Amino acid sequence: MFRAQPMTRATLWLLASEAPDAALLLARHGTFAPVDEKREEMPESPAERYREIFLEADSRLNKILEHCGGTMPPLPDDIVAPNLAELEELNAWLKTLWQTCSATSESEARIEEERKHLTALRETFARLKSLDLDISRLFRHDSLLDARLGQLPSGNVQRLKEALALAGYLLSVFDVHEGLAFAVVAGPRGGAEGMGGVLIQAGWRDLPVPTELQSHPEKVRKFLETETVRLEQSHAAHCQVISDNLARFGERIQHARLSMTLARPLAEASLNGVRGKGQLSVFTGWVPKDKLDDLQQGLDARFHGRYMLETRQPKAVEHNHVPSLLRYPAWLGPFVPLVKSYGIPRYGEFDPALIFAVTYLLLFGAMFGDVGHGGVILMLSVLLYRKLGRGAWLGISAGVVSMGFGLLYGSIFGYEDVLEPVWLSPLHDPIRILTVAILFGVGFIVFTLLANIYNKLNAGHVAEALFDSTGLAGLVFYLGATGSIMGLAGQADFGQLAWGTALLGIVTVAVFKWVETRATLGERALVTAIETLETGINLFANTLSFMRVAAFSLNHVALALAVFTIANGLGTAGHWLTIFLGNVIIIVLEGGIVAIQALRLMYYEGFSRFFSGDGTEFTPLRLAGTKEASIRV
Amino acid sequence: MSAYLNTRVSLFADHLWRAEQFRTLMRASEAEIPNALSEGGLERLAGVVAGKDIHSLEQSIIAQLLDETLILLRPLTGPERAFLLYWTERFEVTNLKTLLRGKMTGERPAALLTRLTPMGTFGKLDAQDLAHAEDVTELLRRLETGHYAGIVRQARQAFEDSRDPFLLDAALDRGYYEGLARRAQELEKQHGPALRQLMGPLIDRINLVWLLRYRFNYKLPPAQVYYLLVSAHYGLSGSRLKELAALGSLEAVLAALPDGLKQSLEGAATIPEVFARMERAASGQAEKVLASSAPAIARAFAYLILRERDLRAVRAVLRGRYLHLPVDMISETLGQLSEEAY
Repeated sequence: MFRAQPMTRATLWLLASEAPDAALLLARHGTFAPVDEKREEMPESPAERYREIFLEADSRLNKILEHCGGTMPPLPDDIVAPNLAELEELNAWLKTLWQTCSATSESEARIEEERKHLTALRETFARLKSLDLDISRLFRHDSLLDARLGQLPSGNVQRLKEALALAGYLLSVFDVHEGLAFAVVAGPRGGAEGMGGVLIQAGWRDLPVPTELQSHPEKVRKFLETETVRLEQSHAAHCQVISDNLARFGERIQHARLSMTLARPLAEASLNGVRGKGQLSVFTGWVPKDKLDDLQQGLDARFHGRYMLETRQPKAVEHNHVPSLLRYPAWLGPFVPLVKSYGIPRYGEFDPALIFAVTYLLLFGAMFGDVGHGGVILMLSVLLYRKLGRGAWLGISAGVVSMGFGLLYGSIFGYEDVLEPVWLSPLHDPIRILTVAILFGVGFIVFTLLANIYNKLNAGHVAEALFDSTGLAGLVFYLGATGSIMGLAGQADFGQLAWGTALLGIVTVAVFKWVETRATLGERALVTAIETLETGINLFANTLSFMRVAAFSLNHVALALAVFTIANGLGTAGHWLTIFLGNVIIIVLEGGIVAIQALRLMYYEGFSRFFSGDGTEFTPLRLAGTKEASIRV
Repeated sequence: MSAYLNTRVSLFADHLWRAEQFRTLMRASEAEIPNALSEGGLERLAGVVAGKDIHSLEQSIIAQLLDETLILLRPLTGPERAFLLYWTERFEVTNLKTLLRGKMTGERPAALLTRLTPMGTFGKLDAQDLAHAEDVTELLRRLETGHYAGIVRQARQAFEDSRDPFLLDAALDRGYYEGLARRAQELEKQHGPALRQLMGPLIDRINLVWLLRYRFNYKLPPAQVYYLLVSAHYGLSGSRLKELAALGSLEAVLAALPDGLKQSLEGAATIPEVFARMERAASGQAEKVLASSAPAIARAFAYLILRERDLRAVRAVLRGRYLHLPVDMISETLGQLSEEAY
């Protein structure tokens, strides 16, 4: 729980022909995270072609499923992954099937467009009928006028009008319907060449107009009806094609889906982790140490010795690249995303999740200690459990802790005189609460420095762990300086020892900075002076930052007092309404601010000192649909 | 925010290359090239095997521009941010055209994907999905449901009716630049003439070069040429473009230009020359805006124009060296990009 699970570097050698099955087995186990390891003796990427075909087939299958629907069949245990030839064959079949489906899909899109077009045309004909114009004469092929009726996006009208003028043509819009303009384009017959492709460019579409428009309205009606029937028939035909396809190929589509699920592990592993040469393939990756035996048993059962598995412990220089597998008890789960939002612990690094959960709750409770307000947070979290899911536990625990501190402070909905404080009321003893907050801060910073020393030692950075400002020397300085200040404040008497310890610590830091800085003499002196000074300033600024814990606990009481002062100046109804609204504001506004402040203290005064957070999460190969939590406790 | 952006732009302006740096790069030995690039603030390019892999070089140049744009975008909000973001989208429009061409030629998705420029956080296209479209029609349909729907819709109609890749490209380019001009015009009202001084040369150059190309290389009729131009107008008004589109030769077009433009293009005999001269003039304008106390967004845009010019010049030098061209020839090419002598 305090660090990532130990990992083993595993290299699996086997026949290239068995690579798909090996990838499938590794994915079934869900404990192998592939890594790219360039090997001179294995220069090829044998699964690249497999991945390429897989991606093509997968894309086609997804489109077909979108088009035809379907469900995923169960995955039998003894089934094997398709090899490259089988995958290619499947891809070719999917291509043919998709071409059929795609044609149907494209036709459907066109039918939909034509439907819209027909609706617009119906409106247009209704308007044209009201014009006192013999359109049939306008569109006669033997006239001197080259006229055409059509539609185009209304946004293109002005531009097209100007362009057509250059070719000696006129454009006249007689109707606009849902962004489409209906227009007549006319010019001298024989001049169409001058227009080139401008009409196409402008999205122009000719309208099929019966020439008897003016004289035979019945024909128009008939024309529209025929068109509608034709479209509906086309639509029905396409629906039939889809259902025919489903009936004909349904089973094979489901089988294809299964094959793709089985092929996915090798396709994914091919991005990194699979190298090869000739008939040999090698998978390289990380396996949790405690899962290695399981994996080996699985390999034995499947390949009966036709493989070689090399394992070794991670080298110190590799720690930055080893993935971190973090296991947490379920109750800690809701706090983990808050830690991960800062970063993933590096392999070997101290995992602060548990400390975070405890400290965050303590800080929240100390700043927002109130039995009533905590109770409301608890109640709301319970009521919203279904909506919030596991995240509700954050609210529940924060509510409980807030109630606990409320008992310690003797505060309920801001009333300080209802409950007897078990410990003290912040408003009545602010100095004590400030002192406790600062002492908590000192303790927290000492912990962060110790955690940093552990992390540095673990990463092999011994000099930094011992002599840097956030290492042992910084800790010695901090403890000495804290003791000295406590002596000055009359809180303790460590005599000259404290000053001596502080001096020893800061001089060690300064010498380390001097040795570490590679620059000219002047620059080196400047960097050493500034960074040493910064060490002291930072540590104390961070400590004083914890005063906000006390400040917010006082602020909580002060806000309640303000509410009471306003409420006491009002009548009975106004009084209780103000008390109610005031408490709502305190819970929402102050509760929110305190939650953020507690997080801020954790991130900036805590994590930034010892937690790099630049680790990589362990993401093993998995079969699609298997639960990620399967290897979690 | 404006003070921050101004400071940021001024700091970036120091990264612009001086003629001396280009001369050093032209004359440096093979081994010295990465160092020359690093010293010029182009560590990313130094990492690419200098000039030998044009695609990686091109990708590195775009990545460099995107990184810097990302920094300039940080303090920006609203239309200013939208404008600079849109400016980066032209790289993605190029990706879009690559995808379309790849589909037309039946290129393998895996090969097609390697030719796309990685857009990082700026990317709006689902390249994996689009590269696996079965054909151009399916690709266009998919694009119509995405970020570039506005640009693509009309291009699709034009393409479906004509099956002409030229019309597709022309419609995409026109759609992109009209969007750019529309966003710029919104800002021009707010930020005075500085942005207009940058957009004017850019749109005029695009319109004039396209007009010449469509009219005299592709032999399109005036009506179609005019329709394909960007409808935003700066130095070249709509009526002037109509007149120009109707003329029959490059010389006649150049002679009919407004005075300022006519003078600067006097004697230009080819379309590439017209392009180079206009680009040089646009760079000059950008340098003026960058050195002025213009609004921060205009200075940022000027910087990006100049930075891109520099990076293209660096690419030209590296390519020229790889092809073993004489230094004089490379120098002459660079001279077309800036008035400064190389």
